[in-house]
Amino acid sequence: MFTVLLIIHGLLAVALLGAITHQAVSVWWPERKPAGFVGRYRSVPATSYANAIVVLYLVTAVLGAIVYTEYRVVVRVVLEQLDMWKTNGVFELKEHFAAVGLGVLPAYWYYWRAPLSGEHARTRAMLTALLAFVVWWNFLVGHVLNNVRGFGS
Amino acid sequence: MTVTRSFPVFAVVFAAAYALAYLICVEKNYALLTYHPAIYEFGLGVEKAKDGPAMYWFGWMATSGIAASVIALAASWLPVSLARRLWSGWSWAVPVAVMVVFCYLLRSYFLR
Repeated sequence: MFTVLLIIHGLLAVALLGAITHQAVSVWWPERKPAGFVGRYRSVPATSYANAIVVLYLVTAVLGAIVYTEYRVVVRVVLEQLDMWKTNGVFELKEHFAAVGLGVLPAYWYYWRAPLSGEHARTRAMLTALLAFVVWWNFLVGHVLNNVRGFGS
Repeated sequence: MTVTRSFPVFAVVFAAAYALAYLICVEKNYALLTYHPAIYEFGLGVEKAKDGPAMYWFGWMATSGIAASVIALAASWLPVSLARRLWSGWSWAVPVAVMVVFCYLLRSYFLR
């Protein structure tokens, strides 16, 4: 059961990672005349990703919270026994960053509503960067931790 | 979807208050509930571990969510003239600062 949930959590995280990265790149490194793969990547309509990012973040966080209960019993105890403090530390940051990210979602959603306000462009860009950092951190840490314990072990 | 005129004030204050409240809740262990994952049991408030570890993360988020909602709702009643002066950047600056503080608080994990 938890393995299935973990895989769904991972797949949703991939979708979220793609969406937030697309949006962050188009905000921080925009391209007005798209040419080639990178140019088109940089010129996506960033606004269209906002609702999907909010929904994906919420669903991924809920599934992560469910999987976390199993992690706490099965994985973390082993990491402590193996003195893997850095590994536990990066996971501690993951849980706190995820929680802080939840709190900015209403503001993120509001500032990405169309029509976009030019006055709040910096706030929009910073909120996107913050969420992008949280999503990348959590994705990489989750991936590494999954590798540490091993599938089905 | 239409939003009320006070929603931006609510959203900005919520983001800042939630991050700060979460930091305080973690540091002081103000958890609204405790989960015991080994026995699949929830408890109200902070409970000691029984038959396995105790998880307070859900409780910290619940406490922070309630506290931030109350603060943000109160702020959304501010007069328009005051609300206009609210810097929208608080919505990211406070959460970023809180994340940096967490890195500092958890430094012992990386310095062993």
